[in-house]
Amino acid sequence: MRNPTLTVLFVIAVTILVGGYLIYQWCMPKRLVVSTTTSLYATGLLDAIADGFKAHNPNVEVVFVAVGSGEALRRAAQGDADLVLVHAPSLELTYIQKGVISKSRIFAYNYFLIVGPKDDPARIEGLDPVEAFKAIFKAGEEGEIEFISRGDNSGTHVRELALWRRAHLDPKGEPWYIETGSGMAETLRVANEKRAYTLTDVGTYLKLKETLGELKPLVKGGRLLLNIYSGYLVVSSKEPELAMRFLEYLVSDEVQALIKNFGVEEYGGQLFYPVNSTSLAELKKAWAELAEV
Amino acid sequence: MEPTYELLTIVLRSVSVSGLAVLLSSTWSIPLALRLTLTSSKLGKMVEDLINALTSIPTVVLGLLLYMLLSRSGPLGFLGLLYTPYAIVVGQAILVTPLITSIALTGLLKVKDEVWELLISLGAGRRQVSQALVREGLHQILSSILLGFNRALGELGVALTVGGNVRGLTRVMTTAIALEVSRGEYELAVSLGLILLTVSLALTLVVRRLGVR
Repeated sequence: MRNPTLTVLFVIAVTILVGGYLIYQWCMPKRLVVSTTTSLYATGLLDAIADGFKAHNPNVEVVFVAVGSGEALRRAAQGDADLVLVHAPSLELTYIQKGVISKSRIFAYNYFLIVGPKDDPARIEGLDPVEAFKAIFKAGEEGEIEFISRGDNSGTHVRELALWRRAHLDPKGEPWYIETGSGMAETLRVANEKRAYTLTDVGTYLKLKETLGELKPLVKGGRLLLNIYSGYLVVSSKEPELAMRFLEYLVSDEVQALIKNFGVEEYGGQLFYPVNSTSLAELKKAWAELAEV
Repeated sequence: MEPTYELLTIVLRSVSVSGLAVLLSSTWSIPLALRLTLTSSKLGKMVEDLINALTSIPTVVLGLLLYMLLSRSGPLGFLGLLYTPYAIVVGQAILVTPLITSIALTGLLKVKDEVWELLISLGAGRRQVSQALVREGLHQILSSILLGFNRALGELGVALTVGGNVRGLTRVMTTAIALEVSRGEYELAVSLGLILLTVSLALTLVVRRLGVR
């Protein structure tokens, strides 16, 4: 280089950059990246769990990346997460088969609900979910009602599609079938504005119930509406031991007690149900069935 | 964490992340603008057109490209930058580069028209011309930087995709707004939005004052 000052400056700059990077690597606490479904994160449950985990493992930083189940699994496949927490059995199965995730732990469950306008023009109240979807399709074709879909490959969306498949119907592209491509809260608000039907997880619905005056839950219960949250170790994780510790922590008594009581006072109902040895066997069976839908 | 305290840290994080990004970007954007002001070659024109075209690059597209670069399975994955504030800094620095360059260039060209003949007739060399341009065009340069800061502060795509909206680490104003909306907490989203608007508006006023002198 012509200018000696420039050379010196260049060397100093490079030294600072490299040195800074090394120091940064050295000082950073261990990072555990958890890509997770939004419905778990948005309620605040995960932050509470992470605080507990941090109390036991002070030198670990738990980083939650809240995206839909589809994206969470995709990000895991890219190698950008150590753990995934998701609720889409059929998607999970594909990624297990691809060898992306392993060590399944079911740590919580609740239910999906079909909600709709209070006067229920499609008359689905009390039906089983597949029959309800058939009635919604029929009423939609007659131009009486609209159905709002997440359309974002999230766990809820995947389940909705599975229910349509069960009913041997394909509403995609129909004028009464509206895809929002956004989160559960926004989708519920759209359904409320349009006085339309939608599938929702019970947690988000309970949380927003006060603001959803036009809607009411019409179909609930049954294995097909069971919403199972599972945690997985990402096979390519660089911190498998730590990730495994977090996974075991999720099913520990401490966290299970937290899940049981979470949000009960605030929302007037249980948002998530804990898993115990009796319910686990039943949940595993339901999971296997849902994965094949 | 106390809500007001958390809100404050989010605002401060936003300002420092975007501020760093714009400073970083200025170290190459301003020299580039200066270089383009002084050139009249065909290549210079092409670069200028390219930069003007890139000013409106959608942030989500840039975010996705950066994500694929910084992902652990991507070419720069070994840096471990994904889901850190540094990833947002780098992303926003790239994002605002065309904007800063193009606005600074427009301003400097105007200044050049005013002083060029005088400088040449005084027999100024290339170096002196550059210095004079920077001195005379300082206001234009500053306002280009401030506008870049405004764009960085208000963008969502890059911060969300490569930052991941991690609480206490990469949660900035725009990603916090997106999260609160998805949670259905519109009230908090609105108050954050108002803060963002106020900062943007104040900066725009400053820029206008600079332009008027």
